Amino acid sequence: MMSFLNRQPAALTTAISFLLLILGWHLLTVLGDYDRFILPGPADVWAQFQVVVADGRLLRHTLITFSEIVPGLLIGVLIAAPLGYLLANSPLANRLISPYLIASQAIPIIAIAPLLTIWIQSTYWSRVLVAVLVVFFPILVNVIAGLRSVPDELYEVMVSLRASRGQIFRKLEFPAALPVLLAGLKVGATLAVIGTLVGEFVQPKSEGLGFLLVTARYQFKTDLVFVVLLTLAALALSLYGLVALAERRLLRWQANGK
Amino acid sequence: MRVMNRYLLIVFLILLLVACGSNESATPAGDADLQTIRLPMGFIADPQYAPFYVAAEKGYFAEAGLEIEFDYSFETDGIALVGAGELPFAVVSGEQVLLARAQGLPVVYVMEWFQQFPIAVVSKANAGIDDPADLTGRTVGLPGFFGASYVGYIGLLSANDISPDDVIAEDIGFTQVESLLSDQVEAVVGYANNEPVQLAGRGEDVQVIYVADSIDLVANGIITNEDTLAQNPDLVAGFVDALLRGLVDTLADPEEAYAISKQYVEGLDDSRYPVLEASLPLWEADPLGVTDPDTWQQTEAVLREMGLLDAPLDNLEAAYTNEFVE
Repeated sequence: MMSFLNRQPAALTTAISFLLLILGWHLLTVLGDYDRFILPGPADVWAQFQVVVADGRLLRHTLITFSEIVPGLLIGVLIAAPLGYLLANSPLANRLISPYLIASQAIPIIAIAPLLTIWIQSTYWSRVLVAVLVVFFPILVNVIAGLRSVPDELYEVMVSLRASRGQIFRKLEFPAALPVLLAGLKVGATLAVIGTLVGEFVQPKSEGLGFLLVTARYQFKTDLVFVVLLTLAALALSLYGLVALAERRLLRWQANGK
Repeated sequence: MRVMNRYLLIVFLILLLVACGSNESATPAGDADLQTIRLPMGFIADPQYAPFYVAAEKGYFAEAGLEIEFDYSFETDGIALVGAGELPFAVVSGEQVLLARAQGLPVVYVMEWFQQFPIAVVSKANAGIDDPADLTGRTVGLPGFFGASYVGYIGLLSANDISPDDVIAEDIGFTQVESLLSDQVEAVVGYANNEPVQLAGRGEDVQVIYVADSIDLVANGIITNEDTLAQNPDLVAGFVDALLRGLVDTLADPEEAYAISKQYVEGLDDSRYPVLEASLPLWEADPLGVTDPDTWQQTEAVLREMGLLDAPLDNLEAAYTNEFVE
């Protein structure tokens, strides 16, 4: 069976695993005889999906959440990458800043998110900031790891060639750190979805998938809860896919070199 | 050998910890006959729950053969657990019962605790918002377009023939006190026994428009599920009776009830007594605990107007019973 699956195109195996998942879910609801508010079946969720697509609610809330995720991710990267560069290259900065950065990771985001909504009047930016905070650390760690993975010999070669600081960065450090940075970005992309949702949960207001989720729970529409969760998963997958696509393009040199 | 000893030591320590843990939970000796019931409260521990604490402290629940374990999780969790038959009771607000039944949760409201819908519109005394009609054209802050406060707000407007389009409703999250004090909005929607008390505590003169003065909606009470009602009516009767006694005692002697609450609400000082005081008029009724069929119809109508209910319930009367309070 496994060798048969191995020989099939990737799209087909993905489709098979997806169908098996749906089938398993369907069987679980049928055999378990669960009430719809406890565990709705795939058909219930599909019906609810069509309702919220038809009345435009799903698209509206998804676009709002998306408009928070993307800036959250980008701002997170824009802060984490330069800071990572600084920490990787300056032992002093590392000693001064690192302890606080690491300690800050012990604070659960769910505990700070409500405070952010008080400090920042704008709902939009308080939600984006939660995403930034969640994205920040994995990117930072990956940038540092990427830069530290550059072999010393390569630095020595660059120095012996009298390369400038800028040239070392462009020709050595950036390409060397890129694979690890992109790996961090993939993790960050999915984390940004979670961060934004945490922000929306704390500040549900009247828009975004977090609001739709809160409302669905309030109305005991578990099938709608599932629709929102699956939409979030799809958002995370798409972002992950985008980064993976960028990775394949940017790292083509690496594949060619192998 | 040394490794072995270390291993034994670790096992011993784990056993000791387990023993300590289980010992603690087994301390209330002699209560073995009592049936322990986890009760979802819908909010954090608070003197607002004084009737429950009084009933527990004075042994009314114990007389009914019950020991109550207060569970301060979210309201929706409580309904889902009762609806799924996992727990026999929960404290929930009336509109939630209808929303849950619309989705097939077999929950039944058996005792009305808050006789008045506790939502109110609060404004600064000098803002000139003295009755509902004054809300027209004003900016009103709501914690969100969901939940009991939104239901109360829409009910208030509807009962006074005000279109929601004529009022500028703003989402302000749970920042009512700050938003009103900083004049970001002209009025806020909140709990009659909370926001006005907090604002008064900060020296602000406020005008309060009570939703309950315009429309009677079903407020917080006790729910059970259809199975418990059918198979164990004595349990429901015992629970409701004990809670009613706690409620009677609280209304008769709120200071004693507040003192008892201190044993159940960690870190409670006297500063929250006004909250209990403000709650008393919302609970008063004669007889206590009875729910009015008209109130249910009005609640259903408001939910339909809000679009939270797509259609009337098949059997609205099945959502509540006064069997245990009359």
